[in-house]
Amino acid sequence: MRRIVSFLKSKLVRAPAPPPAVPPEGDLRAAFRKRYAHFRSLLTANNNTLQAMADLEQVFYSGQSYRMAVIRSKITTILVNVYKMIRDLIAMGDGKYQELIPVFERISSKLELIVDRKPEYQSGPMIVPLAECNSEQHHLVGDKMARLGMISRLEGISVPPGFVVSATATRHFLADHLDEINRRLQVLESDDLDGLYRTCAELREMITTAPLPGDLQELLQVHYSRLEKISQPGCRVALRSSALGEDSRGISFAGLYNTMLDADRSTLVSGYKEVIAGKYGARAIAYRRRRGYRHEDIEMCVGCMVMIDARVGGVIYTRDPANRDGDVLHVIVTSGLGKGVVDGTGDSELIRLQRRFPHVSTDNSATPSLGPSAAAASLVNEELLSRLAVAALKIEAAFGEPQDIEWALDHNDKLYILQSRPLQIDDDETGAASVEPAAAADPGEPPLIRGGVCVSRGVCCGEICRVESEQDLGTVAKGAIVVVSHPLPEWAPLLNQVAGIIAETGSEAGHLATVSREFGVPALFGVDGAMSLLTDGLQITLHADDCAVYRGRRDGLLVARPVAKDPMAGSPVQRLLTEAMQLVTPLNLTDPDAAQFKPSWCETIHDITRFCHEKSVTAMFSFGRTHHFDEGRAKRLVGEVPLEWWVVDLADGLRPGIDDDAKTLRIEDVVSVPMQAIWNGLIAYPWQGPPPVSARGFGSIIFQSTMRPEIDPSVASRLTVKNYFLVSKHFCHLSVRLGYHYALIEAYLSDLLTESYVTFRFKGGAADMGRKTLRVQLLAETLEHYGFRVELQADSLLARLKKRPADYLETRLQVLGYLILHSRQLDMIMDQVGSLERYRDKFFAEIDSMFAEAPLHALEEH
Amino acid sequence: MKQFNVLIVDDEDEFRDLTIKRLTKKGLIVEGAESGRKALDIIKTGRIDVVVLDVKMPGMDGIETLGHIRALQPLVEVVLLTGHASVESGIEGMKLGAFDYLMKPIELEPLLEKLNDAYEKKRLHEEKIEQAMIKKHMAMPS
Repeated sequence: MRRIVSFLKSKLVRAPAPPPAVPPEGDLRAAFRKRYAHFRSLLTANNNTLQAMADLEQVFYSGQSYRMAVIRSKITTILVNVYKMIRDLIAMGDGKYQELIPVFERISSKLELIVDRKPEYQSGPMIVPLAECNSEQHHLVGDKMARLGMISRLEGISVPPGFVVSATATRHFLADHLDEINRRLQVLESDDLDGLYRTCAELREMITTAPLPGDLQELLQVHYSRLEKISQPGCRVALRSSALGEDSRGISFAGLYNTMLDADRSTLVSGYKEVIAGKYGARAIAYRRRRGYRHEDIEMCVGCMVMIDARVGGVIYTRDPANRDGDVLHVIVTSGLGKGVVDGTGDSELIRLQRRFPHVSTDNSATPSLGPSAAAASLVNEELLSRLAVAALKIEAAFGEPQDIEWALDHNDKLYILQSRPLQIDDDETGAASVEPAAAADPGEPPLIRGGVCVSRGVCCGEICRVESEQDLGTVAKGAIVVVSHPLPEWAPLLNQVAGIIAETGSEAGHLATVSREFGVPALFGVDGAMSLLTDGLQITLHADDCAVYRGRRDGLLVARPVAKDPMAGSPVQRLLTEAMQLVTPLNLTDPDAAQFKPSWCETIHDITRFCHEKSVTAMFSFGRTHHFDEGRAKRLVGEVPLEWWVVDLADGLRPGIDDDAKTLRIEDVVSVPMQAIWNGLIAYPWQGPPPVSARGFGSIIFQSTMRPEIDPSVASRLTVKNYFLVSKHFCHLSVRLGYHYALIEAYLSDLLTESYVTFRFKGGAADMGRKTLRVQLLAETLEHYGFRVELQADSLLARLKKRPADYLETRLQVLGYLILHSRQLDMIMDQVGSLERYRDKFFAEIDSMFAEAPLHALEEH
Repeated sequence: MKQFNVLIVDDEDEFRDLTIKRLTKKGLIVEGAESGRKALDIIKTGRIDVVVLDVKMPGMDGIETLGHIRALQPLVEVVLLTGHASVESGIEGMKLGAFDYLMKPIELEPLLEKLNDAYEKKRLHEEKIEQAMIKKHMAMPS
C-alpha cells in the first residue's frame, strides 16, 4: 500500500509537465502536487490510526485475553500516525494549525503515563514471623501467608510454625535482574509455546544462579535457627509461594507456583530461589497473560514453615462447588500430605458431610447410605471428620465466605491448616438446566464414552490431541480437545487455547480442575482408558455436564454452550486499557461547522484525527482560493445527477481542454477510470428517496440526535450534502456523507497487479448501535459476496481488494457506487423482521443485473 | 526494483546478520553496524541512502544516533526499529525526523516496502534540490 502511495506520489510529481505554456501555472501545479502528496500521506496515517483504534476496541470488547505489549504497540502506532497527520496538515496549511501540537503533546504524555505506569510497591521488613502476619501485611507477605497468619490466631486452630520472606526481600534479591527479566518477557510472542518454555528455563537459570545478598542470607539462617528451637534441631521446612497483587475476585491463581518440601538449613537458600523462580514458570506466565496481569503486578514472597509429619491429609471445601446453597461440605482425604489431591496424581476419596453439627456424613454418591468407604474410614474416623468440619467452618466464618482449605493430621492426630483460600464456585446455575433438554432432544448415536467426573461444565467440539509430555505441548492446535493421563498443573498453559480437556484420573479438587472452571473450559476427569479410546485427530463433542463423549460434531448439544466469561474482568491490564481508551476513542468533534470544531476542543486522539482529516480535505479544496486561482478547483457535477457531487482534479482526471476555471462539469468530462466505474454504480438504479421509517426507527434517530445536538436532522450541515471525488486518470478518492453516514472509497487501478487496490470504509449513522450493526452486517455480507475482504468492528466496516486486474476492480467499484447510494438511511428500517435478508436479496439481484446490462461502462466510453 | 544502499544498525548480531542476508537477496546493497558510533563512521562516507536503526542499543542509543545522522547527512532517511513498542521513543523519533517507525519482529515484505518508500522520498528530495540548482544556474548564466 505504501509502495503504491509512493509510486503515485512519484508519478504525480514526475508526470511530464504540460508543454511550456504559462510558467506560473506550472508552479501552481507543483505546489498542488506537493500538497497532494501530504494529503495522501495524511490519509494513509489516518487509515493506520483508525485501524489501530479499531484493533484496540476489538481487543477491549472481544471478551478475550490481550497483552500489555499489544496495547503498548497499538497506542504507539496511533500516536506515531497522529503525529504524522499533524505534521502533514501543518505542511498543507502553510503553517496553520500549529496549536494542534500542544494539544497532541498533552494527550500523548497522559497516554504515556498510563501505558508505562508501574505498580506501587510498599516496603517493610525482609522477614516476618508467620504468627505476626495479618491482613494489613498482605502487601508485604502475600495473600496466602497473610491469611495463614490470621488463621494461626483463631482459637483452637493450629498452623505449622514458620516465617515469611517478604516482597521487600525479593526486590532486594532481584534488584539487578528485574529489568532484564521484564525485557525478555516483553519480547515473547503470545502463541509461541516453545519460546515460552525456553524463556522460562533461562529465567529460572538466571534466578537460581544469582547470589543471595549477604544480609538476606544471614536473616534466613537466624530465622531458621528460631524454628529449630521451636520444633527440633535440623527440622525440615516447606517453602511455599505467597504471591501478592493477585487481588481480583474469582481468580484463583491455583497451582501456578513452586512448593519445595523437606528443605533444611543446607537447602534453604536454593529452595527459596526455586520458589521465587516459580513466578516465571510457564504456567504462571500463561495464566497472568490470560487474566490480564503484567508480570510486575505480581510479587512473590516465600513462606517457610516447619513440615508436618502427616499421617493423613487432604482438602476441605466448605461448600459443594457445584451447589453452593446445599447443606454440604466436601472433605477429600488421602494418606500422607494432601499433595496428591491437588496435583491430580494421588488416590483420594471424597466424603460429603453435613454443614450442621455434628457433621455426620451424608449419602455418599458412590456408595449410597454407607457413608465413607472402608478405606477412608480407616484414615479418618467420624470424630476426626467432625473436628475437621468444625475447624473449617470457623475459618469460613473468619473470612466470611466459602473456603478451599488444605489440611494435615500428624501421627498424634493433631490438625494443622496448611492453606486456605476462597472457594471457586460455579456461578452459572442455569447451565445444567438448559443443557438437559437439548441433550434429551438430540437423538442419534449414543456416546462413545460415558463416565468420569465433570470438573468443569460445558459442551465443546474439537479434534483429539493426546499430550504425554511437555514436548507435546507445541503440537496442540488451537481449539483441540486435549486428553492426558493425569490432570497435572503443568498442563494449565494449554487452557489458553484448547476447547476442552479430558483426563484419565483426577477429581474436582485438583488445581487443573480449578483453573478449567475459572477459564470456562469444559473438563471431564477420571475417564478410564481415555488415552487409548480416543485417538489423535478424532473429532468429538464433549458434553462435560453429562459426562459423555460423542463421536463427531453434535450441533444439537453445542447449542447449549454457555457464554464464556471475560477472563480479564477487573484485571490491572483491563483497568489500564479502560483508562487509556478514554483518551483515544471518544469523539467529541463531530460537526465541522460547529464553533467548537477547533484544536483547543480536541480532548481525544479521535478528535485530533477527525480534525486533521476534515481540515486536510478543506485545505485540498481551498487550494484554488489560497493560491489565487480564479475559483476553487472543485467543480460541481451538473446534468442528470442525483444529490450533490464535486470533483477535484488532481492530475489527469479530466478530459483535456476542460477549463481550469470552470465551476461545473458534466460526467462525460471525467476520464478518471475508477470514478467512472463508481459513477456507473451510483446511477444504475434510481434512488427512491428515504424509505418509509418505522416509528421505532425514527424515534431512535431522534434520540441519538438529541444526544448529539449538532446533528439535529432539521439543520442539514453543509457537509452532509457535499460529496467529493478527488481524481486522476487512474486514481479516485471519494468521500461521502450521506445523511449521517460516512463512507470513503479509494481506488488506484494500474496495469501492474501489485499496485492496484480498492478500499472502502463505512461508519456511523444516527440510529442506535443495534441497527447500525445490522446495516454494516448487510453491507459486509454483500461485499463478501462480491469478493471483498471485509473487516467489521462494531458499526464500522473496512473492505479491501488488492492485486486484482483493473477491469475486475472496475466492476467492484460499481458495486460500491451502488451500495453507498442505496444503503443510505437503511438503518431506519433495519429493525423490521427479515429486512436484512430482503435487502440482501434485492442488492444481489440489482447488482447482478447491473453487471449484465452495462458491463464495464467506463471502458466503452473511453 | 532500484538498487540502493541500506545500513542496518543493531547491537543484536543475530537480527542484524539475518536482515542483511535477506535484504541482500532482494537486490539491495546492505551493510551493518553494531553500534551508533560505527554507524556514524559509515554514514560519513556518504554512500548510504536509508538507515534501519534500532532504538535500544547500549552506549549511544538510537534516538541520539538519529540526531547525529540528521546533522551529518540530512538527506539520509532513517527507519526506526524497536524490540518492544515504546510510546516515548516512537514520537521522539518522528519529531527528530525519522521516516517511520517499525516494531520487531518485522517481516521482510513490510520492511522492504518501507525501505523503498524511504528511498523514494530521498530520491525525490535530491531531484528537487538538483532542479532548484539548475534553475539557479540558468538564472545566473556564468
